[in-house]
Amino acid sequence: MAAAVATNGAAVAADWPGRYHHIDQVLDTPGPRTDPSFQAGDEVKEFLRDKCKILVIGAGGLGCEILANLALSGFKDIHVIDMDTIDISNLNRQFLFRSKDVGKPKALVAAESIMTRVPGVKITPYYGKIQDKDEDYYMQFNLVICGLDSVEARRWINATLVNMVDPENPESLKPLIDGGTEGFKGQARVILPTISSCYECSLDMLNKPTAFPICTIANTPRLPEHCIEWASVLEWPRVHGDKKMDTDDPEHIGWLYKTALARAKEFNIEGVTYSLTQGVVKNIIPAIASTNAIIAASCCNEAFKIATSSAAYLNNYFMLIGTDGVYSFTFEHEKRPECPVCGGEAVDLTISKGMTVDKLIETLVERQDIQIKKPSLSSPTKQIYFQAPPQLEEATRPNLEKPVSELVEEGGEITVTATSLPFSLSLRIHYT
Amino acid sequence: MLQNESQTLDEATMSIQPDSKTRRYDRQLRLWAASGQAALESSRILVTAGSATSTSVLKNLVLPGIGHFTILDAAPTTPADAGNNFFLNANASIGKPRAEEAVPLLRELNESVDGVADTRDLEALLQTDEGRKYVTSFTLVIAHNLPAKTLEQLSTLLWQDPTYPPLMVVRSAGFLADFYIQFHEHCIIESHSETAPSLRLTKPFPALQAWADSTDYDKLDPTEHAHIPFALILIKEADKWRAEHGGALPKAYAEQKAFKADVRARQRKLDEENFEEAEAQAVRMWTEKAVSSDIQALLDAPPVDPRSSPNAAFHALLQTLRAFVHDPAGPGCLPLTATLPDMKTDTESYVRLQRMYKEQARVENARFKELLKEKFPDLPIEEAVVDAFVKNSHHIKLLRGRPFGAFDRDAEALASALQIFPKETATHLAFTALSALLARGTEVTAEALTAGVQDLVGPDVELPDELDAAVGELARAPTADLPNTAAFLGGMVAQEAIKLLTKQYVPVNGYCVVDLVDSWTGTVGAPQ
Repeated sequence: MAAAVATNGAAVAADWPGRYHHIDQVLDTPGPRTDPSFQAGDEVKEFLRDKCKILVIGAGGLGCEILANLALSGFKDIHVIDMDTIDISNLNRQFLFRSKDVGKPKALVAAESIMTRVPGVKITPYYGKIQDKDEDYYMQFNLVICGLDSVEARRWINATLVNMVDPENPESLKPLIDGGTEGFKGQARVILPTISSCYECSLDMLNKPTAFPICTIANTPRLPEHCIEWASVLEWPRVHGDKKMDTDDPEHIGWLYKTALARAKEFNIEGVTYSLTQGVVKNIIPAIASTNAIIAASCCNEAFKIATSSAAYLNNYFMLIGTDGVYSFTFEHEKRPECPVCGGEAVDLTISKGMTVDKLIETLVERQDIQIKKPSLSSPTKQIYFQAPPQLEEATRPNLEKPVSELVEEGGEITVTATSLPFSLSLRIHYT
Repeated sequence: MLQNESQTLDEATMSIQPDSKTRRYDRQLRLWAASGQAALESSRILVTAGSATSTSVLKNLVLPGIGHFTILDAAPTTPADAGNNFFLNANASIGKPRAEEAVPLLRELNESVDGVADTRDLEALLQTDEGRKYVTSFTLVIAHNLPAKTLEQLSTLLWQDPTYPPLMVVRSAGFLADFYIQFHEHCIIESHSETAPSLRLTKPFPALQAWADSTDYDKLDPTEHAHIPFALILIKEADKWRAEHGGALPKAYAEQKAFKADVRARQRKLDEENFEEAEAQAVRMWTEKAVSSDIQALLDAPPVDPRSSPNAAFHALLQTLRAFVHDPAGPGCLPLTATLPDMKTDTESYVRLQRMYKEQARVENARFKELLKEKFPDLPIEEAVVDAFVKNSHHIKLLRGRPFGAFDRDAEALASALQIFPKETATHLAFTALSALLARGTEVTAEALTAGVQDLVGPDVELPDELDAAVGELARAPTADLPNTAAFLGGMVAQEAIKLLTKQYVPVNGYCVVDLVDSWTGTVGAPQ
């Protein structure tokens, strides 16, 4: 680890004449659409190469690409965070890794690889979670780029950066560039915390995850997926008790596959395969090098334009669909006034007088624009229901059965929190 | 029987652990399957330069596992190359042949890919028979920022014979780029269209109709009633509607609304999800056609003689499809696809319905094969290809291309494109003007580029304001291969190459234009 953190000192200041011939063409001259504030020449180069500090979150499919693009573009002080280790299924796209690297931390291997290939760039890796770091840590960067596959992590960093904004201190506003891919599709966006639409504002644009009703799984399976869900959701805990299922353990997947296949035979359902079993229980999303390259390049291009002002940056959403020709759509996603992270207004929710607290929680979990797992609820005067600690959970549990109208008056507010998210949501309750 | 079944299960689990190749490629096999992977692995790709854009494209082709690549590049590595290309050993590569420096660094991305550096000169190769034979021996040729004259020679050569490889022409400068795929014809069986194939609910096959007829709502208990598959509900409702409306199905919006209301009125209890589903799926009753307009256009086009086409199998299958649709003994529409969507029903009904569809699809597949044999008795086509064609006959695609540059010589098409897609067309034309200026060795200025574009479109055509943005950017950075633009193109060009090679999904037809100042892409100049 120490070796990886050390800079490749010998190579520092290794700029050779002509190294930036290509990039300097756009840094020495403005274009027709360049903002007049652009400081062409030495000033912008010095900022980019000597002063700008950038954070990359994720060293996977997008992260590997992002690190290489930033290094070649002239960013020299790059930090990278990733909590994962390298798996063989990463090698079809995560081009900084080789077979011999399987099992090693992605952040460390990626940093090492870039520093070997691009002299003079310093990459500081951190093998761990973004939640390990505090605001002081994030405050040191000029820009943050995310290449993540997790909605939860994105919501966390988005909320953290929005919370960090201090109107008195312009330096506290850290542009966030976020990329994501799925098969031949992807998107890149620029978020100026508190100023433009944030990640939370667009939560309802996410595809709804396929969820199979438990009664279908238990009683009327029709698809191979229903049999696989039965094996993992119902049979695994029944047979293995408290033993935790590890979807990376081939023996566990093998057991699920066998169990699902037997159920499928019983019901004359075709199509249960090992690959499908893995896909369903691990929620595998197809991923290829080319889409990652496009989206990562788009993110880095925006970072480069923001850092140098050499051209206007994206306002604020680029969406790509590559299945039928090349289709892309660039648009401005609007801020949501009732966004719990950057909006400040309460969400109005109209429910029936009889709706129980339990049912309200279920509604919050399911709503596309809220998507809050295990929410805790309170009103300004009382605790309605708390998921933790256990004593508080036990004390508030009887409220689950009560109608909300017994606890909150018409027009009253409920504050919703969850441990996984660094923000709270305000609901204003109305009754039909 | 039980014993047998458990044996099969054990056997199945013996070999379930996928091999390391399947594990490595798992995330892409979910997109193009083993057939697409095999096509990639048998491909041989020629790239005519070792520029940053070229190695970015190659990276995204080596990773998923093409068979072979050759970098044809006579140039030594310059200090500028060493600064913008990840697949060189930085300043240690300066002065050494670019191709030879890049190939080992690309090969280490994937041990199963073969790669070769060729330091001969492309222009010289194009002058000899042997050289031309070599260039045409690849599966695909990719050319980035080739000088205008060499590009002209290369594209002309590759257009000469439809069996020669397609050519991808990539041009970039600074934040802008465009690329074009030159091919005569591209046939796609697996387009992976997301529109659902017909369930033939407006024209049920006999077994399906019989089941619908024998379903009597009044004789079903509440559980059965709540589990009638939506397909049956819609067939029954359509029969009733036809009887009351002179044999016609709902057409006008009011009729469609009334039909949906009728479906919903059959619901006995509010929680009968199958009727809700039927209402939501009712749209099938007025949108489904025997043959979609896209496929109809293919069937109506003048037939191509398979014996004289490099895509013999596809054309034979297409003509058989036409015969199938017109076959008096057939269903009068495209062959049935056996894949059913999920429906709110019980296991038994669903499996029964699935078997019905499968059986009917099997019968129609067999009839299709008979027709194929009658029409093309001597043409060998793999059975798997026929099966894939029949299964995907709702989504087959046939793209017809034009030679590179034909659009730029088509004054009428240019004038119209400038009206409809001003920024895309202007950017594309600015690139054509740029390569002409670079070929002449004239200084690249916005004025010179604008004059070049005016020459291309003719003096009477008014140039759009959008042209200023394009020529200004090109004049700013006429030879800049920016790392981010290179990486962006590397992804796009590789993606299109993969679609070409696997013959899956639909490649772009026309000039794909990229503007990374305003972050947009667009396509112009598609053949009509």
